[in-house]
Amino acid sequence: MAGEKNGATADPFEAFRKVRDTYFEGMSKVMIDAVNTEEYAQATGTLLNNYLTASAPFREAMDKAMVTALEQLSLPSRQQVIALAERFTNLETRLDDLDAKLDRIVELASRSPVATTGPPGERTRTSDAGPKSRQQTGGKH
Amino acid sequence: MAETVSLSNDWTVLDRKLKTFNRLMTTKAAIAQTPKELIWTLNKAKLYRYVPVVPAEKRYPVPMILIFALMNRPTILDLRPGHSFVEYMVGKGYDIYLLDWGVPGPEDSNLKFDDYTLDYMPRAIRKMMQVSGAKEFSMLGWCIGAILTTIYAALRPDDGLRNLVLLTAPLDFSNREQLTFSRWTDERYFDLDKVLAAFGNMPGEMIDFGAKALKPVENYITNYLKLWEGLEDPRVVEAWHSMNTWVTDIFPMAGGAYRQLIVDFYRNNRLVKGELNIRGELVDLKRLRANLLNVIAEGDHITPPCQSEAILPKIGSTDTEVYRVRGGHIGIMAGSGAHKQTWPHIDSWLADRSR
Repeated sequence: MAGEKNGATADPFEAFRKVRDTYFEGMSKVMIDAVNTEEYAQATGTLLNNYLTASAPFREAMDKAMVTALEQLSLPSRQQVIALAERFTNLETRLDDLDAKLDRIVELASRSPVATTGPPGERTRTSDAGPKSRQQTGGKH
Repeated sequence: MAETVSLSNDWTVLDRKLKTFNRLMTTKAAIAQTPKELIWTLNKAKLYRYVPVVPAEKRYPVPMILIFALMNRPTILDLRPGHSFVEYMVGKGYDIYLLDWGVPGPEDSNLKFDDYTLDYMPRAIRKMMQVSGAKEFSMLGWCIGAILTTIYAALRPDDGLRNLVLLTAPLDFSNREQLTFSRWTDERYFDLDKVLAAFGNMPGEMIDFGAKALKPVENYITNYLKLWEGLEDPRVVEAWHSMNTWVTDIFPMAGGAYRQLIVDFYRNNRLVKGELNIRGELVDLKRLRANLLNVIAEGDHITPPCQSEAILPKIGSTDTEVYRVRGGHIGIMAGSGAHKQTWPHIDSWLADRSR
């Protein structure tokens, strides 16, 4: 009535929406309770376990075939690429350690009497110690 | 005649809604738009510094590093222009850094919490301190990021950490009745070794399904119904689009870290019991002395409040505050009310402690 007085037409689907929302609200509670049971946990666990067991032979066969094929093509296997990537990460870590040590040396040098009494152009400026390879990435990710 | 016009209008509206719906389902929104610069990388991890907008003399001298979970993008902290926590904090004069863990590849399947907290975080923090020139810093951890920051804060209390903000921190796993994930990952039902042997890393799709299955009706039905009803409202559309862009950007979690999450946390609750061992060091929460703001989402179904509440009596901090917000796991920081409640509260708490 209020809607009609304000010049708006009544929405015939409003009652339907209310019923629908009430249904989903109730359904939601039922489902939340259902997934929070031991039975659900057991059922999903069993399902996943069966899938993994059933697919394991195919995965293994595929892996073996792939390794053989890659060897024939003189291409590195997945494991070899992984090993290489791990070595890269180790190298990066070492470089980062070196970077930290260099920063420390620069910091100590800037505090030493020689650095503070030398010509201004030769002083080490720790405030500019940020990496020169900074990369503007605003607006992209 | 009037009925024909009305019917035609209805079809026009339906056509427009379908086109909008199709756009939302098939395109990505432009998220994470706040300007930033890359200042450090290690493996897949990247440390960004957000370009300050407040003059240096008016900025807070204590920088803040943001650390998000391992299985989702941290772009949720910078969702969209006009509705971004990062943008808000940068505008308030904070020097903000974001540690993005990146997407683990097969070569990262052995990465553990040990590596994240003792290799990656200290290095990223060192770079932040070097760039900012500060002696102390603040740290914000959200979800699993809150576990990582808590471990770091307890293991390295003398590294300059002044303020710690924990958001929906899953730290205490003792109340198994309230933790659906605990039930699902119980060793009687969930063969962790078999899953990780098959996949190496924990597939993002499985993690995503687990999170959505906690509230199946909301996530698979009503979410879309509400969107359909709001398709004529540009604000609803843009908010939904950016959130959906973030939600659907899923990737795996490093196998080693996932194993630790299940075994050490969900199954054995080792952190709160004082039994968590990180690369030979026992994590003693009493050593955590930083000022602490513990933000709890009252409607959180992923990290129920009981998981975050237990931390306070266990830690050594004297300046602590618990802030309870109405909302869910993500909603308290990225929902429509975040800029009125959570963000201003974090700002006011940090402001006094960042001078």
